[in-house]
Amino acid sequence: MSAIEIHNLTKRYGAQTAVDDVTLDVDAGSVCGLLGPNGAGKSTTFKCLLGLAHATSGSLRISGAPVTAQTFESLAYVPEKNDLYCWMTVREHLALTRRAYRNYDAARAAELLAIFKIDSAKLVKRLSKGQQSAVALTLAFAIRPRVLVLDEPSSGLDPIFQRTMLDLVIDAAAGGATVLFSSHQIGQVERAADRVVIMKNGKLVLDGNLDTLKGDEKIIEAVFDAEAVAPNGLASDPRVRRIERSGRILRAYVRTGSSDIVRLLEGLGPKAVSVYDLSLEDIFLGAVADDGSKQGVD
Amino acid sequence: MPTLFSIDPRSGVPLYLQLIEQVKRGVALGTLEPGEQLPTVKALALNLTVNPNTVARAYRELERERVIETSPGRGSFVRSQNGVAGARHAIEDVAAGVLAGAVREARSLGLERETVRAVFERELARWFAADGREDT
Repeated sequence: MSAIEIHNLTKRYGAQTAVDDVTLDVDAGSVCGLLGPNGAGKSTTFKCLLGLAHATSGSLRISGAPVTAQTFESLAYVPEKNDLYCWMTVREHLALTRRAYRNYDAARAAELLAIFKIDSAKLVKRLSKGQQSAVALTLAFAIRPRVLVLDEPSSGLDPIFQRTMLDLVIDAAAGGATVLFSSHQIGQVERAADRVVIMKNGKLVLDGNLDTLKGDEKIIEAVFDAEAVAPNGLASDPRVRRIERSGRILRAYVRTGSSDIVRLLEGLGPKAVSVYDLSLEDIFLGAVADDGSKQGVD
Repeated sequence: MPTLFSIDPRSGVPLYLQLIEQVKRGVALGTLEPGEQLPTVKALALNLTVNPNTVARAYRELERERVIETSPGRGSFVRSQNGVAGARHAIEDVAAGVLAGAVREARSLGLERETVRAVFERELARWFAADGREDT
């Protein structure tokens, strides 16, 4: 069952298309990591999903229903820029959250503030950016949400607390919560997510189970005796993401079906053919590379 | 809780496969004994800071391969039946993976089958004669 359903979402600001026909279903209990360069449309997608921005078109559902005020009783959203009140203390934020959410867990909130080493008597404006992020995360996880939407949840956090943030996500997911989070840090997605989605220029350019992607995506490197020439049709093969040539070396970045491509290249009589696994960073860079990079001789 | 397994989330090898390999290695080396309880999915996910569904997938696969068994409400355990045979299977799985990689690498370097065989025989002679182990 999908806890988050984004179907054909488009968001235009005047002539500019921020989100372009994006469809994304996140299974209940899954952690989906959303990667993409700045301006790819990640934050706009989140805002449209939650009804905080008006979608130009598309269908958006959370836990099987359109988003209403009730949705937020079991949903936590941490925006890119925290929405804390700078003139209030941390303790006052806790009190406000407790009044607004039935499932608010005061013990959990206290525990998280202790982990993040936050003095709850302090005014928010006296906290560093990282401490403010920690407070926003504390409030989000203390309401024991079934769905979490986290926009760059680690911004400003030091490396130790970034790991704490990942532990919170993992703990919530192990308890059956669904998490959709964006990050600039591929390593975070690589650890916490089982599903990875990559956006570029408002479009989804890659979507899949992380382990499946890693199992399927390969670099095939062939070394020839003379200048490398890509075989006919290789560049236009849908299984091939792009081709790189440098002198006698030809590299094909393949989405899937690496053994077929290996056989194809071996038919050209190379000196050697090697197959390499791709890290998520390699997969990400391949997916967001400029369109001109799928070069080669056809 | 000390880290039980060494996994590398940055590697191109899928995490659940790394975990499967690590559990089999543990069984093979006896660091995981027959009947020993494995951490819960949640505990291991938090211990390694990896996605719990990934850990669950590794456990499911290990169950399917009869390396571990899970009883509802009690947890997952290293299989105690066929303990010795199971460990031997696990050893073979781990070793086969390493050898397959070595053969693939040698082939990708352009070595002929007979050359690979000669190298392999030389290494067999070196390692199995030196420590006097039976090579059956």
